[in-house]
Amino acid sequence: MKQNNIFSIRRLYLLIRRYVLSNTSGLFIAFGGLAGTLMVISLLVAYFNPANLPGLIPFYLSIMFIGGYIFTSNIFSELDYPRRAHHYLTLPVSVTERLGSAWIVTGILYPLLAFLSIGLIVFVANLIMNFAFDLQPFQGVFSQTGLNAIRTYLVTQSVFLLGAAYFRKNNFLKTLLAMFVVGMVLAVITGLFGWMLLSPYVPGGEFSIGPGNLSAGMESLFMNTIPATARILFNYLAVPFFLAVTWFTLKEREV
Amino acid sequence: MVLIENLEFGYTRRQTLFDNLDLKLLPGNIYGLLGRNGAGKTTLLKLMAGLVFPRHGQSVVADYQSKNRVPACLENICFIPEEYHLPSVRIDRYISINAPFYSGFDYDKLEWLLREFQLQPGHKLHQLSFGQKKKFLLAFGLSTSARLLLMDEPTNGLDIPSKSQFRRVITASVNEEQCVLISTHQVRDLENLIDPVIIIENGKIIFNRGVDEISSALVFETIPVIRENMRPIYHEEQLGGYQAIMPNIHGRDSRLDIELLFNGVIANPEGINYAFKS
Repeated sequence: MKQNNIFSIRRLYLLIRRYVLSNTSGLFIAFGGLAGTLMVISLLVAYFNPANLPGLIPFYLSIMFIGGYIFTSNIFSELDYPRRAHHYLTLPVSVTERLGSAWIVTGILYPLLAFLSIGLIVFVANLIMNFAFDLQPFQGVFSQTGLNAIRTYLVTQSVFLLGAAYFRKNNFLKTLLAMFVVGMVLAVITGLFGWMLLSPYVPGGEFSIGPGNLSAGMESLFMNTIPATARILFNYLAVPFFLAVTWFTLKEREV
Repeated sequence: MVLIENLEFGYTRRQTLFDNLDLKLLPGNIYGLLGRNGAGKTTLLKLMAGLVFPRHGQSVVADYQSKNRVPACLENICFIPEEYHLPSVRIDRYISINAPFYSGFDYDKLEWLLREFQLQPGHKLHQLSFGQKKKFLLAFGLSTSARLLLMDEPTNGLDIPSKSQFRRVITASVNEEQCVLISTHQVRDLENLIDPVIIIENGKIIFNRGVDEISSALVFETIPVIRENMRPIYHEEQLGGYQAIMPNIHGRDSRLDIELLFNGVIANPEGINYAFKS
């Protein structure tokens, strides 16, 4: 039977299994340690300052985000060291499977596990607080806010996935730096472009965009079209774009 | 099995390591790749394994361009590097994690090789010595049933009994459909194993001959003095005389001294290769 050289579910499963089984102890320690710390923080806050408890959910989500970015940045850590990269790069799997397994582990399994862990922490904290103080301090984490957070995480983590494939060592910090630099450059370009476009219509040099100083067409462009386009780009095109760039980066990666 | 054509490669744009390199490796052979430090031996292995990419030309393994790293090609390549890192897992777990990627993985052979090398499935890989790790990698690599086995300095770090064990294991477990390429400086460790001998110098293959061919064209002998009518192609002074390579005009038998051959080829490649033409 001719072998499929592009994609095989079996090889994808084997790669995911390989990653999880090779890193079981590390993942268990990191996840257990973090969940335990969050649990202790929840109980301390509940005991000393119960009024602040609702604010803990965004805190948990922030920790989930940062943890996920660091985790994603290290997903191709084998490629950072030539002594490990030999084996990883000569494993009989395709680029699509390498990328697919990394994305499934960091973009699907991780948020799922993190979300369930947060749910568990909330449940246990509620149980203890209810038993000890007759309080139900937490609102459910599985709300629209939580789902929005996961969607935002999925988009932003794809940038860190690219950083994981592109950089060698210190991938997380290098990705942050690259995002900062790219963000600054984009801000400068956008600012210049906006100034060039709008300055003729704004006498006296006062430069601000608002309903008072724009024509109807421009106002619609800035208030409706651009935000809607940005939303579409962010929600639907950013992930495929970064995954595609990561695919080519992995394909071209050498020892 | 391996076809390298017009290959050009360099780690930087200014520096070219291989220029117009051609090489063909056939199954059923255990090739010895010899060369000085920096000659490009490891790089050549990496090019075949698809770990680095050529600027021009191609490296084809089992009908696939190795730079494309497609599964069907990679399943036929086993690369055992000189330096490696093994994860902190037990041997049996490493096997259960990595062996299923190879459809032809031979678990019986692996069991035999682990027994031969006195490795237990319960051993933790990171607690093994350098030599034991190398033996494990070798056992795993040979069990993948890959048709191309690339080994970079496989006897480095092995103790004296393990070196003969290595030769025995390779001879016993490599079949006619497989091709082995061993890059080494330890030629004495691999005498009687490698055939043909490939010598690489400054990114060029300056010698590529089978042992039978070498033995019928050259004589390796120890002589007390070099007389004028002898005209050795290459000679080295040693205690009490000389070791010399002579043209085998009279069809004499001699024991191939790969180290002497290597030194001879590096010092006088034209002279050595001329002996084969004549």
